[in-house]
Amino acid sequence: MEVDSQEQLQRKQSTYLSLDENFEIQKEVYRGQQYSQIYFARLHMMRTLLYSLVPNWKSHLPVCTVLELKEGKECIIFGTLYKHMKLKPCILDEYSKERSVAPLIKPHNFMHQDDYLVLEDESGRVKLGGTKLSTSVYVTGVVVALHGKETSAGAFFVEDVLEAGLPPQIKRPLKSREDKYVVFVSGLSIGRSSSNPLQFQLLVDHITGHLGDEEEQGLAAEIVHLVIVGNSVEISRGLLNGQNLASKDQSRLCEPFKELDILLTQIAASLPLDIMPGSSDPANFALPQQPLNRCLFPGSTTYNTFRSCTNPHCFELDSIRFLGTSGQNIDDLTKYSEAKDKLDFLERTLRWRHLAPTAPNTLGCYPFTDRDPFLIDSCPDVYFVGNQEKYETCLLKGLEGQLVRLICIPRFCETGVAVVLNMRNLECHALTFGTQISS
Amino acid sequence: MATTSKNMNVFYRQKKKSTTSTGKKSTKSPSPKHAATFGSDITQPPGLVSHGGSLDLKDDFDEQEQVLRQFDMNMAYGPCVGITRLDRWERAQRMGLNPPKEIESLLKGGKVKLESLFDGRV
Repeated sequence: MEVDSQEQLQRKQSTYLSLDENFEIQKEVYRGQQYSQIYFARLHMMRTLLYSLVPNWKSHLPVCTVLELKEGKECIIFGTLYKHMKLKPCILDEYSKERSVAPLIKPHNFMHQDDYLVLEDESGRVKLGGTKLSTSVYVTGVVVALHGKETSAGAFFVEDVLEAGLPPQIKRPLKSREDKYVVFVSGLSIGRSSSNPLQFQLLVDHITGHLGDEEEQGLAAEIVHLVIVGNSVEISRGLLNGQNLASKDQSRLCEPFKELDILLTQIAASLPLDIMPGSSDPANFALPQQPLNRCLFPGSTTYNTFRSCTNPHCFELDSIRFLGTSGQNIDDLTKYSEAKDKLDFLERTLRWRHLAPTAPNTLGCYPFTDRDPFLIDSCPDVYFVGNQEKYETCLLKGLEGQLVRLICIPRFCETGVAVVLNMRNLECHALTFGTQISS
Repeated sequence: MATTSKNMNVFYRQKKKSTTSTGKKSTKSPSPKHAATFGSDITQPPGLVSHGGSLDLKDDFDEQEQVLRQFDMNMAYGPCVGITRLDRWERAQRMGLNPPKEIESLLKGGKVKLESLFDGRV
């Protein structure tokens, strides 16, 4: 049997363009500003956009600010929504005189039927009434246009809502492409006692072509990129309780990184790789999270195929635009609103043209003064979120012909599932690695 | 100084522990010049006579500062707290809000306060 007679398989390549500049905060200087600045930037950008969409929606109605509202006059108002939630944890609860029985188990979702929405612009705020605006769908921080009129009670009765809708998408020729695959994996959680190193090693071996026969290797050669979407390490809580660490504990602290670095070096030697920080990674807490420090990966950074990226992460491969986060934005939406599945939340953020509307209200965020980096200007072709419970995907079609592949990437540590996307037709499938040896 | 004190008498009735005379005093109390108390045994709030003897009735409030304060208070350009006036002007310019050019020349000309009126007070 001849083994080395055939020529070596070449891995396919694709052009990469990083669009993370918007999410970097190295140039920002903190001068004691508050979050009002980022809300102003958001309102201004979105209002300009919505104003241009109003003629197509309801051109006959006048536009006015919240303070100019007159009772009974039908008009359109723009503003940021604020959802007043009874169960939302508030730091002032600690100081309240009435010691109401606080629930011992924190609810995963803070919704309550008494929640109400308020619309706010620079001039003032007005409580919203009517059933058109569902309090279970909207969250604080979304900018919308509302058509309605002021009631005698001083509230604004909403008759119709205008959201920004999907942003315009740059048309990319998808035909006459060859099969090239991108692999997404998230939630490796190396360092967790239940994580199985064999599973990730199997994934690495498959991608680098060390598994399987020629056909399998041929398939692996078509993988052009790997994206690790957050939560790659997990440091045990016992080590982070604020006490001085003994040298034995210090080495325990570094072990997950060493393990991760060894695995990433194997991958980086073989194909381009992006690693994003997540909520359990050693990066800053507030969004946008900055790239993980290169010193954590002494082995992998020697390769130029290794890229440490921000969270959220935006990039282009062969002019197909990818945009995604490690999950904090969707997890926050889950706490403050409801939907039938996570893909619904993804779709909503696209329709609101904002990656993380609840930032900075309930999601940590850097206080930008002149811009809101989470606004989505151009519709991505692939929109992903990591660290979710299960793998879900769908193809979203917009009114102007936009086509977006929405992907929820499950936690690899718990499910053993990675996601593979074909760049030719934006089709997606799951890659499952099991290590149970069935008897 | 003596003439000044006479003017002070005319302006303000001398009362012990009076608060009316401090009505227009600058909230940023500048260090009182010793000259202010020469030859005067009347209690004077130092702020009023700190500017080389002239009456500091306008509370470091000249026309330019008035114009800049109106710029600070204008909600169309966003909140003014935590951002310098020039940064706020430039931001408004970048966003296409067309802030008046005189503000820019005033701020770049110097001799005006670069921070908004709430700086240090909030």
